Amino acid sequence: MIETLRVGAIIVLVVLGLFFTFVSATGVLRLPDVYSRAHTASQADTLGAGFALAAVALALGFGTTSYKTVLLLFFIFITNPTAAHAISRAADEQGIEPWTTDDDRTDRDLYEASEVETDGGVATNGGEQP
Amino acid sequence: MSANSLLVPVSGSSTERQTVKYAVRRVLDGTGEVRIRFVYVHPPDRTQETSPEEVVADAGLSPEQATRLLDRVAVWAREDAGEDISRLTVETAQIGLTEYLFSPEDLATRLVEETEEHDIPHILLDPEYNPGIGSPLLRPLEYELTRFRECTVEEAPAQLRTRRSPLVIRSTPVQVGSLFLVSFLFYQLLAGQLYWFDLVTGVISATIVAVGLSRVTFHRNPSLRSLSQIGRLILYIPYLLVQIVKSNILIAAVILHPRLPIEPRLTRVRTTVWGGIPVMTLANSITLTPGTLSVRVDGRSLTVHTLVPSAREDLFDGGLERAVRYVFYGRESMKIASPRERGDTKILQPIPGKSDGSDENESPGETGEADETEVSDDREASGDTETSDDREASGDTETSDEQGGEQT
Repeated sequence: MIETLRVGAIIVLVVLGLFFTFVSATGVLRLPDVYSRAHTASQADTLGAGFALAAVALALGFGTTSYKTVLLLFFIFITNPTAAHAISRAADEQGIEPWTTDDDRTDRDLYEASEVETDGGVATNGGEQP
Repeated sequence: MSANSLLVPVSGSSTERQTVKYAVRRVLDGTGEVRIRFVYVHPPDRTQETSPEEVVADAGLSPEQATRLLDRVAVWAREDAGEDISRLTVETAQIGLTEYLFSPEDLATRLVEETEEHDIPHILLDPEYNPGIGSPLLRPLEYELTRFRECTVEEAPAQLRTRRSPLVIRSTPVQVGSLFLVSFLFYQLLAGQLYWFDLVTGVISATIVAVGLSRVTFHRNPSLRSLSQIGRLILYIPYLLVQIVKSNILIAAVILHPRLPIEPRLTRVRTTVWGGIPVMTLANSITLTPGTLSVRVDGRSLTVHTLVPSAREDLFDGGLERAVRYVFYGRESMKIASPRERGDTKILQPIPGKSDGSDENESPGETGEADETEVSDDREASGDTETSDDREASGDTETSDEQGGEQT
């Protein structure tokens, strides 16, 4: 009985993890710009990985090494927002404007407005724009 | 070359007396009116307490102690001036109380700003000057200052120079000991069983970590306070998890919705948490909850990208902020009003007419501009030091229109 419950719980957790990873992938494809994509990219890490790791902990059984999955989750929760922040901050420093609902510019316009430097040199942060 | 005015940062070091003497001699070599400005820079850890006004001396000096230090230094300077006292003006100032100076680079930028503001082209550094800012991994202040062309930097000569290795100077046994304990326990946690091999290798690696990295890990001695903070942090984690699950479901619904009903906007929230670790915790928690993403952190003010209006409302209601305050400052600080009530929120990209307009902060255009000027007035009123926003305005050209307006 307990064993069936455990397997059932594992399956539910894995499916939930898969669901949020799927949502995250969908979001990366559907959302318009780098900032909004960064929102959803972190979903795969938080709940996607979170539920998957919970399933792993349950499958390993309590007490043995399952606490290590908690540690894993802890480190994911520290590194994931740091990476998302680094990406969006870099985008901001390159002068990329966040897309808004009333914005009808094309990708090409946005790229030209952002003045992205491609020579690998020091970012100039726009500057010349009126 | 004669210097009619000097900026001297002081930190209460052992060679301060000689530096003051040298500084006075230097300026009195010049002719006419001369002046020295002594500044004390508060390290960022000072601002970790509940508010800049009611700080407890732990790292650096309290504002009163700093005042006393500056008074003492000013008395020395007047004494050294002798009969030339009439020509000498001594000024003192404290900086860093209302802003967050993390690295030597920040400090150098701030000092150079100070020189420009008061029209003092020379900085005189004490050879033992230690502002308590930065870590061995960062380039030292002397190097950062040389990057500025606006002012000249000089180090005062001092006879009593004791050279010690930086690792020994800066970390205390408590710091080394607690880092050893933490890394040893973590090693055993990973090892899983208490086997003699793990114990021996654990001691070896914990020693290496403790000796090598204690200065990087701690800026001050860990105390019981840190323990209670860790305890409250453990209480904070379930709350954060609930928030994450809630907003994950919300964002999942938005993403899977056929029409993709998003309304992304950049917002700025001026938070009421102080210091590096609390602000980092808050910014990371904001990013962890989908729907809000911290783009920029400038001292206490966070630039947050929000995906949907409801996530924005949650952010302005400040639930996470209040929880982070609880973790670091205890229950009392939870009474501070939410960002919306304080008026510390602002939407940087105007929302066209169609918005739900229930909140006064959300109104676009002129109202937003007015908000901004009001906020900056507040800042100027709160002290003679400007926050990083001004620095941002002078250094970077920001992207959004409103920020562009702010610069002009």
